[in-house]
Amino acid sequence: MVDITIKKRSQTDAVVTQRKFFKKTARGKVIKVLRERYLRDDVPCGIQDCQACQGPGMLPSAGESAHPSFSTGHFVLPDTNVFLSQMDLMESNLFSPPTILLQTVLDEVRHRSLPLYNRLKALAKADDKRIWIFYNEYRSETAIIREEGETPNDRNDRGIRKATSWYQSHLPRGRSASPSHQPKVVLLTDDAANRRKAEAEGLAASSVRRYVEGMKDATQLLDVLVSVGDDAIEPTRAVAARSALYSEYLPTATVLAGVKSGQLHQGHFNANAYNYLEGSVNVPAFAKPILLVGRENMNRAVNGDVVAVEVFDETEWKAPADEVIDQESTLKNDDAEDSEEEGEGEEVLGQEKKALRSDEKARPPSEKQPTGRVVGIIKRNWRAYVCHIDTASLSTTLPTSLSQQTVFATPVSRLLPRIRLRTRQAPQLLAQKILVTIDRWPATARYPEGHFVRALGRAESKDAEQESLLLEFDVPYRPFGRAILACLPVEGEGWVVPPKSAAAPEWRDREDLRGLTICSIDPPGCQDIDDALHARQLPNGNIEAGVHIADVSHFVLPDNPMDSEAAARGTTVYLVDKRIDMLPSLLGTNLCSLRPHVERLAFSVIWELSPDAEIVNVRFTKSVIASKAAFTYDEAQLRKDDVHMRDELTQSIRLLNSLAIKLKAGRMAAGALNLASPEVKIHLDSSESSDPIEVEQKELRETNSLVEEFMLLANISVAKKIQDTFPQTAVLRRHLPPPRTNFEKLQDILKKRKGMTLDVSSSGALAASLDKCIDPKEPAFNTLVRIMATRCMLSAEYFCSGSVSRDTFGHYGLATPIYTHFTSPIRRYADVLAHRQLAASIAHAPLHPSLHSKSHVERVLDVVNRRHRMAQMAGRASVEFYVGLALKARGEREQGLVQEEAFVIRTFRNGLNVFVFKLGIEGLVMFKREIKFDVDNYTVTIPAELTGKSDATIAVFDKVTVNIEIEKDKNTQRGKVKMTLAKPVDSRNL
Amino acid sequence: MASISLSKSEKSYIQTSLTSTPPIRGDGRSLLDYRPIALEIGVVPLANGSVRLNIGKSTHEGAGGTEVLAAVKLEVEDVVNGDGVDGGRVVCSVSCSPAAYPHLSSNALDDLSYDMTTVLNQTLAHPSLRPSNLGILPKKKSWGLHLDLIVLADSGNVFDALFMAARAALWDTKVPVTRVVEYQAKKGGAVRQDDMDVEQESGLDTRQVSRAVDFELPDYWDEGETLAGQDRWPVCVTLNIVSPIYYLDATLQEEASTPLRLLLALSFPKTEAPTLKASRLLGPGEVELSQIKALVQDGEKHAGELFAALEAKLREEDVRRNQKARDRFILR
Repeated sequence: MVDITIKKRSQTDAVVTQRKFFKKTARGKVIKVLRERYLRDDVPCGIQDCQACQGPGMLPSAGESAHPSFSTGHFVLPDTNVFLSQMDLMESNLFSPPTILLQTVLDEVRHRSLPLYNRLKALAKADDKRIWIFYNEYRSETAIIREEGETPNDRNDRGIRKATSWYQSHLPRGRSASPSHQPKVVLLTDDAANRRKAEAEGLAASSVRRYVEGMKDATQLLDVLVSVGDDAIEPTRAVAARSALYSEYLPTATVLAGVKSGQLHQGHFNANAYNYLEGSVNVPAFAKPILLVGRENMNRAVNGDVVAVEVFDETEWKAPADEVIDQESTLKNDDAEDSEEEGEGEEVLGQEKKALRSDEKARPPSEKQPTGRVVGIIKRNWRAYVCHIDTASLSTTLPTSLSQQTVFATPVSRLLPRIRLRTRQAPQLLAQKILVTIDRWPATARYPEGHFVRALGRAESKDAEQESLLLEFDVPYRPFGRAILACLPVEGEGWVVPPKSAAAPEWRDREDLRGLTICSIDPPGCQDIDDALHARQLPNGNIEAGVHIADVSHFVLPDNPMDSEAAARGTTVYLVDKRIDMLPSLLGTNLCSLRPHVERLAFSVIWELSPDAEIVNVRFTKSVIASKAAFTYDEAQLRKDDVHMRDELTQSIRLLNSLAIKLKAGRMAAGALNLASPEVKIHLDSSESSDPIEVEQKELRETNSLVEEFMLLANISVAKKIQDTFPQTAVLRRHLPPPRTNFEKLQDILKKRKGMTLDVSSSGALAASLDKCIDPKEPAFNTLVRIMATRCMLSAEYFCSGSVSRDTFGHYGLATPIYTHFTSPIRRYADVLAHRQLAASIAHAPLHPSLHSKSHVERVLDVVNRRHRMAQMAGRASVEFYVGLALKARGEREQGLVQEEAFVIRTFRNGLNVFVFKLGIEGLVMFKREIKFDVDNYTVTIPAELTGKSDATIAVFDKVTVNIEIEKDKNTQRGKVKMTLAKPVDSRNL
Repeated sequence: MASISLSKSEKSYIQTSLTSTPPIRGDGRSLLDYRPIALEIGVVPLANGSVRLNIGKSTHEGAGGTEVLAAVKLEVEDVVNGDGVDGGRVVCSVSCSPAAYPHLSSNALDDLSYDMTTVLNQTLAHPSLRPSNLGILPKKKSWGLHLDLIVLADSGNVFDALFMAARAALWDTKVPVTRVVEYQAKKGGAVRQDDMDVEQESGLDTRQVSRAVDFELPDYWDEGETLAGQDRWPVCVTLNIVSPIYYLDATLQEEASTPLRLLLALSFPKTEAPTLKASRLLGPGEVELSQIKALVQDGEKHAGELFAALEAKLREEDVRRNQKARDRFILR
């Protein structure tokens, strides 16, 4: 028996043992919170073989003796600021001294920054780190209380020092070595005053920089160090003398007050991909986003930051620029080392002024947007960005030198500014993709300052590109950890549905549907089959149709490590040549996957439908099925169309198909939209090399729509059921109707260019008018308009039924009043939740308490929504990368020139935005020479004197032929699609 | 308003012994003696200030006596839409525990609570006593100070106990420090055409337009600062008048036999002369006006003594709760 001693105090000690603090609630009330603290003597120190504690340990008993300053061994005890500012260093796998993490530090990090706290928690659990969390506030020797007049900061610093000194005195007790060979506990802090106090108390203390300099991997680690404090990188000489480039931010409190009183507006900063000197912020107060023009007004906001904006007087409102301004070409001559010097700056500013000039009077007032400037940052959303080193910024005198130099890193994303960083490894990093984080952006610097995190590999190598893509879209891609894999069934691959018996838990409340003729229809090569279907004629003339979904919730139980991981991943991410699973592949591709000829657990939705596809009855049940076949869309189509096939499976497919056609017709009549997105398919030559590739547009068959209709039907039926049962917390999906203003531009273009009208009053009207947008000469035109209309819409989102009003549940695109996702639980987490709620609503299993909590469901769905969006973008980016590779390969095959037909989708003062249908990519055609631009009619005219022929006018929706080249940017090694016009005029020299 | 009933002969017996020379009281006290007063502050940790006060706890049994619990709760109140008052307000309420008055019906208990509430609220919520640091945002938000007292047991002299407990609880009260957050639109560098419309600042314009819109807690660990005007909260002495004498700190039986009681609440500001904050005459008896003046003067003397004793005890409690507790923690 372990003796547990809890020291309990009398009421009179309460002042000391109770931690009281005040909290201001969102409603502006002030609450007093009281925490009772029990002090113990048995909080373990975490050092292996410690005689005094005899607790579990993970820190080596001799400490780490590799560091030259502490040859007798040492432990590192970092203070809060180390984690707040040097998290990248702590995460680096080169930095792994045995570390003591104090509870005081952990709490303070949580209070200061939640994202950092989450990173720290993950770090403490990582396998390759030796970090012990010591609960110093609960150990009676190390607990402290705040003195009269002591600031919270001082109190915490004192607590950290006290814990350090306790460790130092605790060490000898657990060991027999002589005192001179004692390991040291080193307090790691960048606070000089704290260091002085520690040294006065006889403790070892060191600044982070000094500590890292002594390590053997110092060169690489020093790059990771964030440049803060006085002993950081030497400031540019001109800094002191130079006036600030940007206005200072208002104090946080003032900003919050301004937002609250409605004088400032809060929103996410969106950089403009076409014009680096322009950005916008969507705020609820205005229908149109607030426009930010020019560097000073964007005031150091980086894409994704939450900013506070002050709106100018209406007289100063502007329209967005109609020109493409490219950061790289405008700022080509900017030098990283000297960019802060006066002379250069003037020149650059002049260039930018020129770039920003626009004849305001020519613009119609209707195009004007609220315009303003950023006065404060509410939340920075800085993360690690994938970048290239800009070759031109490398110092020419020492191209291969290992000395420290300042270079520019150009982010892959066009939405981000260049980042200045100092590194010793510049020459090695030249052709590499690297990860860079922004540390700060002082008002005196034109560019943000950052530091190097790690190299991803050679640019254009597949691994580096893939990893950079995953990082760029924040997709968690690490392999599943041990704790997660431990949640899998112990039988592993050998798991089977046990023989039917009343005793088997798998068979409890399950219907035996093994006899049904069920089959699955999926894209070729699909391994995670989540759905299967069946249909049969009933004696009463009606038809029984069933959708059977993999019973993932049987394997993924609520609130275990696997469930939390799946919730955090949110969705499976599909890249062209890789799939990043949401669930371990044993479940996804085997145990849950409804493979043919094996028994699998399923969740079935079974309807009785009239021959006209009206629902007579629906029921939900957990079941055991045995799929009879797994078809691809093509196979199923062939089978259905082959009149000689009369077997049960084929009949079933035909029956399903006939119902699907009626269902679709019904849906269309209700006003569902037929949307389009540019989808292309990448053909990989072989899975290993994946080099020569071909791009092809996706083809849709009848069977695609068959599966889709039944999935929609299942989702709608399930949505109704769970909403009835759990009106407060049902997991649903909705698509809000787009604001009418989103369509204004498209309507205008269509009217002026094609004389067509778009009725956006309802989804049905929009569907009908989209059907009329047909150019008899150009079949692809309709699809183009559909793509453009889709871009005008909002994206669908998951939500918790109790959090929004009932009348906003509708799904605009599908024209159904209620909808959810139920049919792909292997690859979407929202479906897993829907499964659990449905299982509870048919009384199969009680609902986990967390799914009764509105706030919990909201929180989970927020993550899922974000992941979902990111996954889509990552998938698209992956396709783009491969299209680029394919183009390059084709260019080599075809000796240079690849020509494709393209549609003009947007016109600029100095260029065109075109869309290449066959490849599904957008591109910019830029003109260096003056051309005529007609804003109102969306045309550009290339004058005769430039081409030697007659004037050529190009308008939006015109079909042109473009040359496509993959051009490598000389400076950044970044592959870039470059397009030039081939027809009607050759623009290569313009 | 005696809360127990005595027979006429008992009343007469008590009255006679009080007026005899030398006067005789049931517990052997002289006329101007108080029973022992026990006081502990900070008993309700979640309140902003609290105290438990007992008058006349029997030394042998550790029970008995008049016992009162007082707690102060500060709440943010909205001046514009809520029931807050600009600059803060004080609200007192007294409730009597049924255990203290087992023989009273619930209606009678309510009446009694109401009577006590009226006396305390009229005295303590008076604008002349309002602490100056209850404001948060001028004309927008302020602290509402809710002083709640519970009579847990009554064995006489409950008003003195209530006022003393109220004073101790208010002494103990800490107001969280708030900082006003404001947003001032900066006039941009560009000179705007409409500049002429901007009102000229004038000395005649006494309006003070505050731009403060919200507040924050700069140090959420800190309990805050003490209420301003700590020394002004009054103490009360009850002069129980049995002509021709009066006596202090009556027990229940004595109260029941006393025809007239004079309540005097006096405040002793540090720098000013003592002021009378409230007086009440309770009971069916009569007193001549000429006597009142002498009684008030005597009352002031007794109240001054009580005030000084309470002050000393409160300071001692403060040290016990903070400095000594800390020392003990370090030496543990």
